[in-house]
Amino acid sequence: MEGTAPGPNRTGGAINPEGVASMLEAVNELSPRKPVSTLLMDIERQWYITEAEAVGSIPPPISSPGGKGRKIKSTAASASVGVLLDKLGERIAFERTGTRLYGAVITKYLALANAGEVPLPPREDGEPALETLRRIRSQELQHFRMLSQCVQEIGGDPTAQTPCADVTATASSGLLQVVTDPRTTLAQSLNAVLTAELTDNAGWELLGELAQLAGQSQLTKPFAEALAVEQEHLEMVEGWLKTLVASAPGTSAV
Amino acid sequence: MAINLLRDKGGVPLSQQRMSWRDMVGKPISKLDDDAFTRVRIILMNGQELDALRTKQVALRMNRKARVQLAELMRVEQHQATTINWLIGADHSPIETTIGYEQTAIEVTASVAQLEPDGYLATGYRYALLEDFDHLYRYSALLDRLEGKDANNIVQGFTDIVPGRPTIEHHRAPEHDLLEPYGPDAALATKLHAITLTGGEYQTHDYYMNIGPIFADPLARQLYAEIASVESQHITHYGSMLNPEESILEKLLLSEAAEVWNYAGCVEQESNPRIKALWERFLDYELGHFQVALQLFKDVERRDPETVLGDGKLPPFIRFESQRQFVRETIDRETSLRKNGTKFVEEAEEGTTSRDYRRAVNADGSPSSTVSATYSWAPGTELTRVEEKAA
Repeated sequence: MEGTAPGPNRTGGAINPEGVASMLEAVNELSPRKPVSTLLMDIERQWYITEAEAVGSIPPPISSPGGKGRKIKSTAASASVGVLLDKLGERIAFERTGTRLYGAVITKYLALANAGEVPLPPREDGEPALETLRRIRSQELQHFRMLSQCVQEIGGDPTAQTPCADVTATASSGLLQVVTDPRTTLAQSLNAVLTAELTDNAGWELLGELAQLAGQSQLTKPFAEALAVEQEHLEMVEGWLKTLVASAPGTSAV
Repeated sequence: MAINLLRDKGGVPLSQQRMSWRDMVGKPISKLDDDAFTRVRIILMNGQELDALRTKQVALRMNRKARVQLAELMRVEQHQATTINWLIGADHSPIETTIGYEQTAIEVTASVAQLEPDGYLATGYRYALLEDFDHLYRYSALLDRLEGKDANNIVQGFTDIVPGRPTIEHHRAPEHDLLEPYGPDAALATKLHAITLTGGEYQTHDYYMNIGPIFADPLARQLYAEIASVESQHITHYGSMLNPEESILEKLLLSEAAEVWNYAGCVEQESNPRIKALWERFLDYELGHFQVALQLFKDVERRDPETVLGDGKLPPFIRFESQRQFVRETIDRETSLRKNGTKFVEEAEEGTTSRDYRRAVNADGSPSSTVSATYSWAPGTELTRVEEKAA
C-alpha cells in the first residue's frame, strides 16, 4: 500500500529527449506532417451508425402495464412507460453495482485503517467515516430493492437487463476497475466514486420526471427521497476527496 | 555463467516446481515507471510459454510414450505463462498493450535479424519486421484518435512511429506466405530464432483475435480484424521456416532449448530486480524441463541430441535495446520487397494471386489506411497540432 509520489515515471518525452528527437526525424522523413483530417474515419463510422441495429430491446411487461388496476391514460403515456422501465432497469443496475463499488471502497479503507492510518475524518455529527461508508452501501442496496419493487408494480421484470442498464454498465465498468485495483489509493478510488455519484444524482432527477410523464405519479415521492439521500452521498464523497488531496498529500491514502 | 545445454545438468527438478495462486497473481509492473523493455521481455516470454504449451499439446496427440511427462511439463508451463502474463497491469488499455506487442515484435525481430546466420532467413525476419513496424504506426493512430493517448507513453522514445511497408500491401495469397525451411544441419541459433518468432506471432494473433470484438468502435474492430489476419500470415511465414522433417520430440527438445535461451537472455538484461528474480527462477525451471525433454529424446527416439543441438552452447542472446538504426536502414533498402512463392522479389514481380486477393479484401476500403490517413506522430498526440476550432 503506497501513496503516489514523485518517481521515475518514464512515459513523457522529456525522459528520453534523444529518442524523441530521433522519432521526430523519422516522422519528418517518412510521414511528414499534413493538415490533420479524420474525414475517412468519420465517413466509415457514419456508415456503421446508419446500418446499426439497437443494442437490444426493452423487455415486454410481464403483467398489464400500469399494474394493479392502474390505467395507462394515453399512447404517449404507454410509450413513456417503456422508457420508464428502461431507465428503472438502468438505476437498478447502477444501484446494484454501486453497492459493490462501496464494498470495494470499504475494503480499501479497512486496509488503510488496519495499517494504523485514519484516512478520513468523521462526519460533522460525529459519525465515523467507516460507518458512513457502510451506511451509504446499505442505502444503495435499499434503493436497488425499492426500484425492483417499483418495476414489479408497473408490470416489469426487475431481473431483466434493459438496454439502458446494459449501456450504463459499460460506461461505469472503468469505475470498478479503478476501485478494485489494489494499487489505487483511497483518493483515486473516491474520485471514481464521485463520477458514479454525479451520474447517480442526475439519474434520480430524471427518473422522477419520467415517472410523472408515464402517469406513475405514485413513484415520484420515493424517487425524490432517494434523490435526497444520493445528494448526501455526493456531498460526502466530494468532501472526502477534497480533504484528502488538500490535507493528506504524501500519505498512503493519496 | 554461460550455459551449455548438453553439459549443464542444473535446474529445479520438475517435482519441485510448484506455485500458489498468489505466486501466479503477483504485483504487476508499473506502466508508468518500468522500462519499456521490461514490458517487451514480459510479452516475449508469455508468447514463448504459450508456444511451449502449444508444441506439447501437439506432441501429446502424436506420442503415446511421452504423455505423462508432457502433461507434467504443461501443468508447470501453464502456471509460468499465467505468472508472466498477469504482470501486465490493468491500467494498460487493450490498445496500449497492443502498442507493447508491436514494439516487442519490432525490437525482437530486428535483433534476431542481425543474429541470424542464414542470409535467406535473415531476409525473412527483415521482411516481416517492416510489416510489424507499420502496424505500430497504424495502431498508434488508432490509440491517438480513439482514446486521445500518445503511443510514446508506451514505447518511451525507443521505437519510431512511422509507416513501414504499408499494411494495405501485407495481404498476400496463402501460397506466398511460405518460406523455405531451414535444414537439419542448420545452426542451433537458426532453429531457436524461428521457434521464438513463431511463438511471438502466435501470441500476437491470438491476442488481437480475443480483444478485437471488445471494441465498440467499428474502425477499431476493422483494424484488429485486418492486422489479426496479417499476424496469421506471419505465423505461417515464421512457422514455415521450421524444418517440417523434425520429429515431434525433436521439436520438443528445441522448444525447451528456446525457452532456456530466451530466459537466460532476459536474466542477463532485466533492469527490474523483482522481474529479474522471476526470470532466474523460471530459467531454473526450464533447465529442469530441458532435462525431461532430453531424456525423452534419448529414451524414445534413441538419437544423439548433438545431432539436434550441436555442441550445446547457447547462441548469442536477443538484444533488448532500441534497434532504430537497423530498422531505418531496412526501411530504406527493403520496403519495396514483396513475396512470390518462397522468394523475395521486387514489387513488379509479386505473385499475381496476391494482387487478386488484396483487391477482394480491400474492396470496401482499407481499415489501416482509413485509421491513419494524414496521421503523423507528434509528442503529446496529434491534438497538439490541430486547430482548436477543427478538433
